[in-house]
Amino acid sequence: MTEKPMLEISHYSKTYGGGKKAVDDVSLAVMPGDIYGFIGHNGAGKSTTIRAVVGVLDFTEGDIFIDGHSVKDEPMACKRITAYIPDNPDLYENLTGIQYLNFVADVFGIGAAEREERIRRFAGLFEITKDLGDLISAYSHGMKQKLAIISALIHEPRLLVLDEPFVGLDPKAAFTLKTVMHELCQGGTAIFFSTHVLDVAEKLCDKVAIIKHGRIIASGTMAALTEGHSLEQTFLEADGDE
Amino acid sequence: MNKNIVLLRTLLLSTSGWNIYRHTTDKKKRRRIAGNAVGKLCLYAMLMAFCVAICVGYGKFGMITAAPVMCALTVSLLAFVFTLFKTNGYLFNFKEYDMLMSLPFEARTVAGCKFLYMVVKSLPWYLSISVAMLVGYGVYARPPVGVYPLWLVLSLFLPVIPMLLAAFLGFVIARISAGFKKTNIVQTVLTLVFVIGCFSLRFVIEDMFRNDRIQATLELASRVTGGAARVYLPAGWFSDAITRLDIPAMLLLTGVSAALFIAVFAIVGRSYRQINSALKAHAASRSYKMTAQKRHSAEAAIAFKEFRRFTGSTAYMVNGGIGMILAALVGLITLVIGPDRIIKTVTQGAPVDAVMLWPAIPFIVYFFIGMVATTACSPSLEGKNYWIVQSLPIEKATLYRGKMLFNLALTVPFMAFSTLCLCVAARVPVAETTLYLLQGLALCAFSTAWGCVCGIRHMRLDWENEIEVIKQGAAVAIYMLPNMFVVMGLTVLAVVLGLRMDRRLLALLFTLVATLLAALSYRRVLILSKRR
Repeated sequence: MTEKPMLEISHYSKTYGGGKKAVDDVSLAVMPGDIYGFIGHNGAGKSTTIRAVVGVLDFTEGDIFIDGHSVKDEPMACKRITAYIPDNPDLYENLTGIQYLNFVADVFGIGAAEREERIRRFAGLFEITKDLGDLISAYSHGMKQKLAIISALIHEPRLLVLDEPFVGLDPKAAFTLKTVMHELCQGGTAIFFSTHVLDVAEKLCDKVAIIKHGRIIASGTMAALTEGHSLEQTFLEADGDE
Repeated sequence: MNKNIVLLRTLLLSTSGWNIYRHTTDKKKRRRIAGNAVGKLCLYAMLMAFCVAICVGYGKFGMITAAPVMCALTVSLLAFVFTLFKTNGYLFNFKEYDMLMSLPFEARTVAGCKFLYMVVKSLPWYLSISVAMLVGYGVYARPPVGVYPLWLVLSLFLPVIPMLLAAFLGFVIARISAGFKKTNIVQTVLTLVFVIGCFSLRFVIEDMFRNDRIQATLELASRVTGGAARVYLPAGWFSDAITRLDIPAMLLLTGVSAALFIAVFAIVGRSYRQINSALKAHAASRSYKMTAQKRHSAEAAIAFKEFRRFTGSTAYMVNGGIGMILAALVGLITLVIGPDRIIKTVTQGAPVDAVMLWPAIPFIVYFFIGMVATTACSPSLEGKNYWIVQSLPIEKATLYRGKMLFNLALTVPFMAFSTLCLCVAARVPVAETTLYLLQGLALCAFSTAWGCVCGIRHMRLDWENEIEVIKQGAAVAIYMLPNMFVVMGLTVLAVVLGLRMDRRLLALLFTLVATLLAALSYRRVLILSKRR
């Protein structure tokens, strides 16, 4: 029996007002346990694709399936198993860190004991336990990013979608996040993330897709795509060929 | 716990001053929150006193039975107007949209909870009106004891229907705008057209009632509200429920509120993602070609930045621009239909002619132009981008001069246009027209500088939603309310003094006083800019 993709993007296109196509016929599949990197220039269409995957952005062409459920037709079934970490998290600044985590846990219906255990574990890993009682408005960008990561992990998602997750993280937190990502994918969670940092993508991902001007110009397993070269070299060559 | 309650509770907690007060270590912030709370309590008290006074008037003239309708209409009208201005920013296009929509909430849940949040946040204002009127009604009508809790419970439902109507209208406007490339501009134009339409409709309705030439204002108000209650059914239901303890009326008010809520958010929920996607989309055209660039002064650059900020936000444009549009419309309408008909309508046939009103022309125009000064909210609107201007090699005074320059560039042309229209329509001689233009200019300068003083003194950068500083900010309230009342008083004073002294000398005196106040306010801006 063939395994079902956890995330399947099928001929997805996004056209903005004025007829400008931000994403054009993108198709890819992320299997359970994959760490899938999505790389491209600024404005290539990475965030537009990611925002459609997590049900934030409306689209008309193509479809996106999460664990077989259509994002368009069954958004709730998709959101229940997905977690999203945006590049610049807009959190409720006037809540404390712990109030925000409890809000997310309540929305996902996480029991008191489980949430306490997970908050303890991840807040400890990212070293923000002592800051959880402070207002988010007092947090640095990195601390907000850490809080957004913890809130994404609190319900043990089966699909984790991250937009530039390493921006603003200190080296230790970046290392912790990479470790957590590996642990999650070993447990069968699929991870789909965008990044500009090609070194990170090269070390972390099993599969990669390169997007340029809204179109996928190369995709596949890391080994097949790079053919022994560095990802940076592969990216620049693919970029130049187009 | 139900997800709706979780979301509503979190929305309220995330903007609650008490939550910030409890958890912040910043003493300055705590003081500001306490000050704001005291200020709000004072405003509630003032509003309540005003409403009690109205009821006393009704009671003395034996018309206290009109109080429930009056209460229902006042609350409904305020709820409708304020919600219409807030829909974009609260219901659509809000900052944490991505975060909320990525969580397992249905679109209609997010929209519905955002609406309920608006209702709960504005309830203290509406309850102040309602409770005060209940007190007046209780004293004069001596109703059965059961009326008191009934009035209070139904008061909670009173703003719901008008707020739903306004929210739905905001949704329709957003839905239409979402189909255009220049979404913001289309949304602003549609909102302004609707608001102006409402204002015109109000005058048409009042004119219809006033044709009866009833002289007693209270009797007239009573008739107008009675007539309006027949048109706006929920006000009638409230009144019937209170005065006749009519159970079907109670059920209609509560039931229609609930049914309308479900219906509106079932419709809004269907296009919610599409509208927000369109409102938040900023597709790059990638078609810019490098051309020759020009050098500008720092003040001009800041004024241009302010202009872009103004045109980039529907809430900012509607709130800051409504006065200009109304001033221009008043000028044009007066020019077209002549001042006599307008005077007759406004003064209800009192013996006032256009010549008597000449000295009041600059104040009439300023009533609209000076309604909201952009300088009152623009310092706060810097928000999290404040670091940009802070890190620039410019004095704070330069920053504020730039902001004032923008407000002057916005207000002066409209002031000049409206003043000229009114002067031409009222056949004001050239010398007086020139003096009124000068007086208008001085008033614009005062409004700009005084607005800036309020804006700097009550600057608030840690807002979540720009509506908080554009509509509800302390700076705007402190600027706007006294300014409006003083101008109304000055309009009457100008007419009275114009009958007793030379009109040119009077205009000159008013110009001098306004110039002096503008200069003092500007000096204050310079002092404050050194401190903050």
